[in-house]
Amino acid sequence: MKATACLFFALFAGSIVAEEVFRTWTDTQGRKVEATFRGVEGGNVFLQAKNGYVYRLPLERLSAEDQKVAATLKPEGLGIPADPNLAQAAAKIDMLVNAGLTKANQKPNPLASDEQFCRRVYLDIVGRIPTREEALAFMNDTSLSKRAKLVDKLLNSPGYNSHLFNYLADMMRMADVANKGRFYTYQEWLKGELNKGTTWDKIVYQMITADGRLLDNGATGYLLRDAGMRLDNLSLTLSTFLGANVACAQCHDHPFADWTQMQFYQMASFMGATDTIGYRNAGSQKSPEMMAIRQALKDEDRKFQQQARNVIRANAMAVHDTSNNDLVLPDDYKYKDAKPGDKVQPKLVTWDKRDTYLRSYQDTKTKEPEALRKEFAEWLTAPDNPRFAMTIANRMWKRAFGVGVKEPVTDIDDPETSVNPPLLHHLTAEMVRLKFDLKAFMRLVYNTQAYQREATSFEFEAGTPYNFPGPILRRVTAEQAWDSCVTLAVGDKVDGFTNHRGEKYASAMNIDISNPETIADQVRGALMAVRQAGTAAGNGKKVKGKKKAAMMRRMEESDDEEGVATRPPTLGGLVLARASELPQPERDQHFLRQFGQSDRQIADSSSDEGNIPQVLMLMNGDAQRVIGSSQSLAVQSASTLANPEEQIEALYVSFFTRKPSAEEVAAAKEAITGGVTLSDLAWVLFNTREFVFVE
Amino acid sequence: MISELSRRRFVENLAASTLGVTVLHNTSRFGFSEETAAAAGKAKNVIFLQMIGGMTHIDTLDPKEGPTQGPKAPLKTNADFMLGGTMENLAKHGDKISIIRSMTSKTGVHASGQYIIRTGYEQRGTIKHPAMGAWAEHFLGASHKTLPSSVCVNRQPNNGNGFFPAALSPLPILDPEAGLQNATPEVRQETFSKRLALLDKLDAGFRSRFQTAGVKSYTEFYENTVRIMSSEDLKAFDISDEPEALKEKYGRNQFGQGCLLARRLVEKGIRYIEVASNGWDMHNNIDEELEDKGVELDIALSTLLDDLKERGLLASTLVVLCSEFGRGPKVNQNGGRDHHPKVFSTLLAGGGVKGGFIYGASDKGGFEVADKGTTIQDFLSTIGFAMGLPVDEVVMSPSNRPFTVGDKGKPIMELFA
Repeated sequence: MKATACLFFALFAGSIVAEEVFRTWTDTQGRKVEATFRGVEGGNVFLQAKNGYVYRLPLERLSAEDQKVAATLKPEGLGIPADPNLAQAAAKIDMLVNAGLTKANQKPNPLASDEQFCRRVYLDIVGRIPTREEALAFMNDTSLSKRAKLVDKLLNSPGYNSHLFNYLADMMRMADVANKGRFYTYQEWLKGELNKGTTWDKIVYQMITADGRLLDNGATGYLLRDAGMRLDNLSLTLSTFLGANVACAQCHDHPFADWTQMQFYQMASFMGATDTIGYRNAGSQKSPEMMAIRQALKDEDRKFQQQARNVIRANAMAVHDTSNNDLVLPDDYKYKDAKPGDKVQPKLVTWDKRDTYLRSYQDTKTKEPEALRKEFAEWLTAPDNPRFAMTIANRMWKRAFGVGVKEPVTDIDDPETSVNPPLLHHLTAEMVRLKFDLKAFMRLVYNTQAYQREATSFEFEAGTPYNFPGPILRRVTAEQAWDSCVTLAVGDKVDGFTNHRGEKYASAMNIDISNPETIADQVRGALMAVRQAGTAAGNGKKVKGKKKAAMMRRMEESDDEEGVATRPPTLGGLVLARASELPQPERDQHFLRQFGQSDRQIADSSSDEGNIPQVLMLMNGDAQRVIGSSQSLAVQSASTLANPEEQIEALYVSFFTRKPSAEEVAAAKEAITGGVTLSDLAWVLFNTREFVFVE
Repeated sequence: MISELSRRRFVENLAASTLGVTVLHNTSRFGFSEETAAAAGKAKNVIFLQMIGGMTHIDTLDPKEGPTQGPKAPLKTNADFMLGGTMENLAKHGDKISIIRSMTSKTGVHASGQYIIRTGYEQRGTIKHPAMGAWAEHFLGASHKTLPSSVCVNRQPNNGNGFFPAALSPLPILDPEAGLQNATPEVRQETFSKRLALLDKLDAGFRSRFQTAGVKSYTEFYENTVRIMSSEDLKAFDISDEPEALKEKYGRNQFGQGCLLARRLVEKGIRYIEVASNGWDMHNNIDEELEDKGVELDIALSTLLDDLKERGLLASTLVVLCSEFGRGPKVNQNGGRDHHPKVFSTLLAGGGVKGGFIYGASDKGGFEVADKGTTIQDFLSTIGFAMGLPVDEVVMSPSNRPFTVGDKGKPIMELFA
């Protein structure tokens, strides 16, 4: 395959948006403001001052001469913003980005076209491409405020939560099964918090301080994910939420950063009185409680004993605080300040000598072992914690641009080594000002010019500073690709199905393990209840082999409305639900994993690289078959159109959120004359680079 | 598409092997004698078995008696050393294997440990380092005309190409019994060709506008994939025509079947095969865990050594067993062992390596290195040396930074026969 340069695209890439033009505007009373023209809508004129503030005033308040100018002038920038304060805050970020570009002697990319913008915000905010109807609605909207309105609409739709869940699930290694337990309630808890709009500091605080059983309190899942491995858990907590590069200090003084092994253990000491090994000693098979249960089950068959162990484990997974802080230095501790086996007093780390004067440090007066964890969580999530707000702000920026201001996002010990320190500090301040409301923060970022520019088309080498002339060209994530496939197949019904495995699982599994006499009957009851819940929910079972092949052939799709409410629609053997509602992570051979979904063993480990099995799947797998079939919405709705030109255009809008060029229509038409069908064309568009990369 | 460089190297390599020419780059820096230099390059293939999670050295390759002994007492082997109590079958292969008991590393974190043992370098935010299979392809060219030179089984490829082109990344087989899925088009060949032609045309504009490494590598993968699809060699990935009895012998689990697939791929001429075994992070109840994973390893590895030997492939195939770190000598309160990078063990067999040989030692309890400390860099350089790679040749990354196979480690010459 040879890449031939195409004149159409060359011209397209060359179009440049004019530099912003400021002029002096005068109102009827002679007051003047220097501003750019953002447009007229609903009888109001919108003018953006140099400080970024956007004035809205009735058109007739402008001087007669300026009213004439407003009638003819082309609006600058991004159109009319949703609110003046937001526009000002976004402009401040743009100023800092532009200062960084100027310093590096670089120019920003041109503003993205409406089509590019539309596809990008759908993918970035709700994690999927728009349907043809959604794309056309945006393209045909002539209002000047349509960009800001679309951002707001998408941020307030359920897809936003689903897409954010996928990001956090990768970051926090959320898996259905870990330590031989099932973590459905943990996922459901997080989804619930996102739906409620709980702020980031509260979410993290709840995870660190959660108490009780996993079945009753999903937030315990964060600590139980690493049950019995509190040092690993702490290391991840510090790198994930604080960008502290401490992993090495777990075993020895850090070779580059300032962290010492002692500091690591002092932090770990805050978790030293917290037990994650299990309610009633159930984590240890040799505890008296478990021995009693074993004794009670000794006459049962082996399979049942195994099942019973699983049910008991599910009931025993719990976090609770004790009165004994048992954290001691490791046997191989080799530094002079203490000896192996010494107890370690809890002490907060600092990044700067002055940090200890901060309120979050002053408030921490560690005394009672039971209170240690709470104090740690309060410090961790405090607005004045030196790295908490910065870390999440930097991560959220990376979600929008593809690169963090500081890379890697798990190491921001020295923010001054970031690409643009003033920008990083400002984003941190904004995160605090917005009280850790991630949606508000993203709204701000999506309203910047920097975000709404064309994707960078040149190769940017890892390790060289990227000054954000626009977002980088990103391959879609596995979840974005999958959710987009489902959108092509069923349209906006993609958002209709949500699973509630956690609730069902918890109520089915819940037994009283303190009574060995009744344990066998209770286990039987729980197993029965889980089976029933599994059937009703239509998931939890993997269809394999012949049965799966038969299912694929049947092409079943349920039209039963009630059925759709409880179980996801399937087509061609694929469960057509959002990635966030499928098993976490999906099975190895599923589209999601083949396309790079994280295995949830390592934090932030999803992949955006291609490989041969993945390409085989794109060319010959289930997804292309379902999307290209006459039952997929994209193909079906195109096939109802009268002539090939319209059909081609319909598929282009469905797949690429843009209309085809004349050359593209001609090429596709010629192919259709040569025997290529709409299914073939759907296959072709699905397999393009354009489909899997976000402009 | 194979990159122009690797295509050229492939041709050179082919010429070298048919003309009987051997080029040895790797004798210069260490001043090896002619005799030891002859050991280089005997490993035409490598099967790299990686135990994910941190394999307990004391219960497998470096058994101890006394307070740190695990659930089972050490076992005698057919050579003059002992093995962990779970290694009942491997004990009969002591004469085929070498063990390094003095491995030492600085990281006790899974992700970074796994990264280092595959690449020899510490993980950085600024560069990706190649795994050994990609290094080998860089120096020796492709090992096969259509199939990839590296395959990884039971795991995602995770940037195995490092800073080399994405085409050098290992082909992942996530489930060895399923093999390479979706390998045949659903439509007739004629239709498939039409689709490909139209795809090339309609995507050309995007490809010329965005000439980024990501876009280019996807285009390469499409080209490679189309070539493999139309090749007879596809059968290499299909273990379904292996005898049932042999499948049973390897163990009906992902690791066992992965080892069987690896042997098959070696036969078909694929140079570097990684097989991962998950589940070695035994913090709790290690006795139960070993009954599962330990037995699985013992059976699969022993069968693999037998199978290679019977087919006359062991002399040219280096089998390596390793893990990101070992596990603590002290059994913790939950009946498990915690991470222990200070000392651990690896195993090598075949490919010019001695049998019945122990290199280095840990102390009495298995806490620290007692003799001949060996870094992961030494270990990887040894593998590189066995494959005939110029381990001292500096290669510049695209960002113009210098790198070598095994990051300047020193090959352990005593291991070679």
